[in-house]
This record gives sequence, structure tokens and C-alpha cells, in this order.
Amino acid sequence: MKNVRVFFSKTGAGKYISHLDTNRVMLRAIGKSRLDIWHTEGFHQHAYITFALPLSLGFASDCESMDFRLLDDDVDLDEIPAKLNACLPLSIRVYRCAEAKHKAADIDSAAYDVRIEPMNASDISVKELYDKLNGFLDLSEIIVEKKTKKGKKQVDLKGYILDCSTDFSETVLLKLRLPAGATLNINPSLLIGAFEEYCGIELYADVTRIGIYTKEGESFE
Amino acid sequence: MYPKEIEKYLLKVQKPGRYVGGELGEVIKDKQDVDVRFAFCFPDTYEIGMSHLGIKILYSLFNEKPYIWCERVFAPWIDMEEQMRAHDIPLYALESGDPLTDFDFIGFTLQYELSYTNILNMLSLGGIPVLSKDRHDLNHIVVAGGPCACNPEPITDFIDIFFLGDGEEVDLEVIELYRDYKRAGKSKEEFLRAAAQISGVYVPALYDVTYHDDGTIAAITPMDGAPATIEKRAIMDMDSCYYPDNFVLPNIEIVHDRAVMEIFRGCIRGCRFCQAGFLYRPVREKSVDCIDRECHALCRNTGYDEVSLSSLSSSDYSQVVPMLKRLNAWAKPEKVSLSLPSLRVDGFTDDILDEIKSVRKSGLTFAPEAGSQRLRDAINKNVFEDELINTCRVAFEGGYTTVKLYFMIGLPTETMDDVAAIAELGRKVVDTYYSVENRPKGKSPRVTVSASSFVPKPFTPFQWEPQDTMPMLREKQQHIRQSITTKKITYNYHDSDTSFLEAVFARGDRKLNKAMLLAHQRGMRFDSWGDCFSLQNWLDVFEACGIDPAFYANRRRSFDEILPWDHLDYGVSKEFLKRECERAYASQTSPNCREACMNCGAKKYGGGVCFEKR
Repeated sequence: MKNVRVFFSKTGAGKYISHLDTNRVMLRAIGKSRLDIWHTEGFHQHAYITFALPLSLGFASDCESMDFRLLDDDVDLDEIPAKLNACLPLSIRVYRCAEAKHKAADIDSAAYDVRIEPMNASDISVKELYDKLNGFLDLSEIIVEKKTKKGKKQVDLKGYILDCSTDFSETVLLKLRLPAGATLNINPSLLIGAFEEYCGIELYADVTRIGIYTKEGESFE
Repeated sequence: MYPKEIEKYLLKVQKPGRYVGGELGEVIKDKQDVDVRFAFCFPDTYEIGMSHLGIKILYSLFNEKPYIWCERVFAPWIDMEEQMRAHDIPLYALESGDPLTDFDFIGFTLQYELSYTNILNMLSLGGIPVLSKDRHDLNHIVVAGGPCACNPEPITDFIDIFFLGDGEEVDLEVIELYRDYKRAGKSKEEFLRAAAQISGVYVPALYDVTYHDDGTIAAITPMDGAPATIEKRAIMDMDSCYYPDNFVLPNIEIVHDRAVMEIFRGCIRGCRFCQAGFLYRPVREKSVDCIDRECHALCRNTGYDEVSLSSLSSSDYSQVVPMLKRLNAWAKPEKVSLSLPSLRVDGFTDDILDEIKSVRKSGLTFAPEAGSQRLRDAINKNVFEDELINTCRVAFEGGYTTVKLYFMIGLPTETMDDVAAIAELGRKVVDTYYSVENRPKGKSPRVTVSASSFVPKPFTPFQWEPQDTMPMLREKQQHIRQSITTKKITYNYHDSDTSFLEAVFARGDRKLNKAMLLAHQRGMRFDSWGDCFSLQNWLDVFEACGIDPAFYANRRRSFDEILPWDHLDYGVSKEFLKRECERAYASQTSPNCREACMNCGAKKYGGGVCFEKR
């Protein structure tokens, strides 16, 4: 038995497949691909798969991963992406399969590309929006309300922005790195929501997760 | 591919996955390569429509033809509709993202009466005129099929063509005729007149209906050479009938998220309340070989680990145990579980239990339909109390603790004693649990009793019967509640308001078209959803149109009245239905099709159970 990790992208229509539905789509793809993977041994036996870091509904990603245990040690891991892709919608593409290097608990941060534009183009020009974004990021603190299991609490996002840069062309681009993982996870939607409030106009943000990193700053593999 | 401009609005609505398509198994063609584009519309949400077997069959069947591109369209939920209307986004098909106006055919499936307003709303969202008479050219032909096509009179102003019976053949014949007429530059009227000559095709515009002063029908007169009666189509050889070997696999969870294998059409039973039991006569089975082959391919191609063996009454499949054993030969090693929905109380044997409990154990559901033996005889349910109790004992001994029992109230000839007997039967099931020696240790039974309100339907022996009024139904619902004395029974009942509206439309005539249009203009849709349904809004519509809904729901028809669907022929004769109705009044049962032939008329199709050796 071999613990393996497949890496996949989720784009286009795939953005609207929730985390739970992604789980379902993957289970069916594994069934259809006839990959022999380990099943749970309880009363309702099912194929056992796990995901390192859930992706919010509406986000695209270039760096999702899923773990499972292959029962046959002789399977060529390089053949697995093609096998699964034949059984997945085009909006989910597996591009690599390897034995897991890190543990899910090693995940420390994630990087995002956020493309921001006004919901109504007449509200503000891209250049003005870009200037506003830079002004917003220069604020000394960005206080938002974060919902936690224990209720709502005020947090200052400013301290959580590990990296950021801005640019603009047809839309405003915000490149961000935020804490991620089981202990502390900051969803970029919090920051976008705060920016929207700061602007006072309705915004549309297209978010893509572009990287997941460990404490040591290595790419999660 | 969804239209790019909706992307901004998708995150403002619930379950945006409903609106983007892109599923594995969807069929994408180049529109330049096809002659006919068919928008298959399901007048309810994605999750419900995607669970429907008919759309899966016809979608694959149409798309096998190189010259047709069939796409799927579902009713957007109210939040999405709001976004679409606010931003001028027309209703589009999931495969191409093209609006309904790009299609030659806009086809609806009529599964329940309360979805009719959604049909009008979908047409208007798609930019298609809702009234047939406002669509002049030979395109945007609006067609409809499915069980409610057996009395489509309340929606004849909106639909150009109805398909009666099985769609696998007739739909293609009409599409092909359209292709020829389109090439020849013919008009819509010429096409409809020619289509009306195809068996199973009903073109309502070619029939004139006149009424007596009391509102009943005086005559239904065909025009322009249309046939006086339209006969349903029936596929007789199920083994050679088209069945898909793959489904469009939804990316979001749908209601029935599993493989579905049809094992036969029709039902031998003839329960007098059940419309499907008469509409789909005669029973036509697939062979075990065919089921085994098609089902295995379907599971392999879809990756589903659960398959539902679908029919109106699974245990009546003549080879049920051999079939289950044959399927389990591969299903067990491949970890695929088999489920048999629609199991009859008297069909639940140890053999069947052994084959289906092997993988998954859920609750059991039975439908005794009536509480007392007298009433079960009157409705010809042919289930005996001791059979139910024995079956429950088998189930409890097999480790089940949950039993659901479905009943109807408001059945013809019903008394308050019959109603109280529903609670009594539930109690007997609870008692049975405690009488089983090797029942599951330390668990108490959960018995759910559900009561829905009876809706008299066309082509049943009860088609002449009045529906109980809403106050009567509510009184009966409460009478059951008061008759339940144990906490082991959970009691549910269905809202009688929606059953009333269903009764109006089920046996409605063409005068209801006016109400349907006004309801649509007032923004009514999703009547089958509690969030949207308002009986008061409907009563206001009826009043504004000068329509008395009780005329349709609560009136007893005489046997010699011309019924709105009398020009449609589903194989069962009116004489047979009258005989069955009279037997119901005498609380007299009828044998099922395998025991004896009651001469319903379906023998004329020349096959199926009518020609099995008895």
C-alpha cells in the first residue's frame, strides 16, 4: 500500500463545485477509473480520500491536492493523472501524482491572485480602483469581524498579510499570501470584503489560489 | 459553457453549480454541424431535473443522431431568476450557453401539474412568446411529453405539440419531419398539420372544444384532417429499446445521485388510485440478460457505486431473484450496491432481502395506502394486514429498525373509521417490533406514518370522483393525529392546499389556460415549493378569471359526461374504468394482470404481460 497525492487545478465551471461536491466528483472518478484504492472497513465501506486544504466555493486553483492509498504498489504513478482526467469534468485537471512529501499539518500559508473589478463598470475606472487599493493596503490597520467557532471576533488583517503586491491592466490584480491551514486560516474574502466597504461600491473579485506553502516556505508537495 | 457575463452574479446565488454545466458526459457539438437544436427543459431545479430518468434517456437518444444537438435547460431558482431579469440575461442551455431563441425545439417534460407555471416562466425568461399563437415561424416549436400529457388541456394555449406515451420513437419522427419541412421552407401550420398525422402526436390547435351552459364539454371536434382520437405510443420490445450506457454526471449533489436501471415499464396491479398503473399498460419487461449487460455498462461508465433498479413495482419483475443474483455476481466484488425502490409489502421476501441488504441497509418504506382492509379492497391495493406485519417481522429480524408507511386520505368510499385505522396499523407495526425475539438489541423502532391527500386523476377508475374538500382533508389529518397513541410513531401529512390545486389542473379543461396565463403574468412559479406556493394567490387568479376551482376538484362527474381527455387514448377503455369504479363501490378487488385479464384494452398493443403464459 502506497500513500499518494495527486495535484489538480480547478478552473472555469469547476469554481462552482463546493468542497463536499469535489469530494463526490473525485469518488466517482476513482470508481470510474477503476484505480484500486483503499476503502474504509466499517459498515458502509467507501473509498478513502482526503484533501489537504479546502477551497472556498467560487475560487479557482492551480494547486489543489488529494491523498489516497493505492493498494497495488506496482502502479506507475505517472499514468494516474491521465487515468483520472478521463473520468473528471474538464474544469478539474490532475497534472501530477507523487508520493506525499509533506503532511497536511505542515501547511502554513497560501498565495492567491485576486482580480478585482467594479460590479458596475460605470462606478469607477480601473486606475482609480487600483489607486484605492493601494491606499487601502497602506492603512495602519484593517479591522474586520471574523466568524469563528466561538463566535465573532475583531481581527486586524494588516498583520496577517504575509506578502502582497498590486498591478492593473483590464482589472486590478492583487497578489496575496495569507496564513492557511488548520490552526490559522485567513480567507482572502475577508480582505476583499473590507476593501469593498472601504470603496463604498460593489466589487467583483475573481480569486485563484496559486500556491500552498509549508512553514519552511517550501511549496506543499 | 455558461455565458461569460453571468460569472459576476453567480456568487450572489445559492448553488451556482446549477447554472454552469461543464459536467462529465455532457454532449458538446458544433452548431454548424447540426440541423436541429433541441432544448430539453425540465420545469424545476437542476437537482430535481437531473434526477429524472426520462431526460437521461431522451438526451442520449437525441444526441446519438448526428443531425440533432439536444441540450439541457432547468428552471433557475428565484434568486438566479432575479439576477437574470435584472441584468437582461436570457434563459440559456447549459451545454452551449445559447439562449432558448437559438433553438428549433423547446421541449418540456410534464411530470407534475404544479410545474406548469414554471413552463411559462421559463419560456418568458428565454425570450420566447408564451402563447402558441404568438409564435408564427417554423422555429421555437414548443413540445411536451410525460405523464401529465394525458390531460394537457389546461396548457393547450402554450404548447404546440404533445407527445403521448413512450417518447423514444415518436419524438424522433417529429424531429425528422421538422427537418424535412424546414428544408422545404414550409410554414409552422403546414408542419403542425403533418405532425398531427403521426401516431402519438397531439396538436391541440387542431381541435375545437365547445361547452354546455353548465361548463361541461359539449363536443371535441378535430379540424384539418387531424385524427378524432390520438393514441399513445408504446414501445413493445424493451430489449431492443434504446437505453443510455452513460449519464451526464452532475458536479453538484442532486436528489437521486446514482445509476438508474429501468427493469420494466407498466404495472400489473391496477391500484385504482394510481394513474401510472393505467397510463403505462401493458407491462413490458426487459430480460435479465439485457438488464445485466446495460446495468454493468452503466455502472462502469458512470463510476456510481449505487444502482437503483427502477420500475413501478420492483418485486413484480417476473425474474426478480435471478436478476438480483446475476447482478450481484459483479456488483458485490465491484462494491456496487443494488437498491429496489417501490417494493410491495407482499413482494418482500427473504431471498430479496438477502440480495439487497448485502451492501447497504437503510430504512424500509411500504405503501399500504389505506388503513383498513375494506378500503384497501376498494382501491384494489391487494395488500393484507398480515402480509404487512409478516414483512415487518422479516425486516426487524433482519436488523431493520426504521419503517416508513405511506397512506392516502380522501380516498373514495373512505369513512372516519378507515382514517383511524391508519393510526391503528402503525401501532400494530410497533407492536410487531417488540414481539420479535431477535430484534436489534437496545434500539427502539421508528415508524413513520405519512398521509397525503388523494388527487383523482384521468385514466383511472376514480377519474369521475370528487376530491375531498380542504376542510374535510384537514379534519382527517387531525383525526389520525388524535388516533396515534404511541411516541414511537412519527406522523407527517402533506399540505392539502397543493393537493387541491393539483386536483384542479389534473382534470382541468381548456378554460384553465386563461388562469394559467394570468398566474404567470402575476409572477407565480415554483408552485410545488412551499417557499413559493400560495393558494390565496391562485384563488385570486381563479376569481379574476371567473373560474370556480371546485368545479374541477370537488365535483362528481357522471359516467356519460364528455371528459376533457376523451379524445386521447392510453389503451385502457372507458368501459373498463367504469367497471373498475363500480367494483370499488362494492369494495371488490380485481385480480392483477398475471392472475387474470380484466380486458382493460391494452392487449391491442400486441405484447407484454397480455401475452405471457398464465
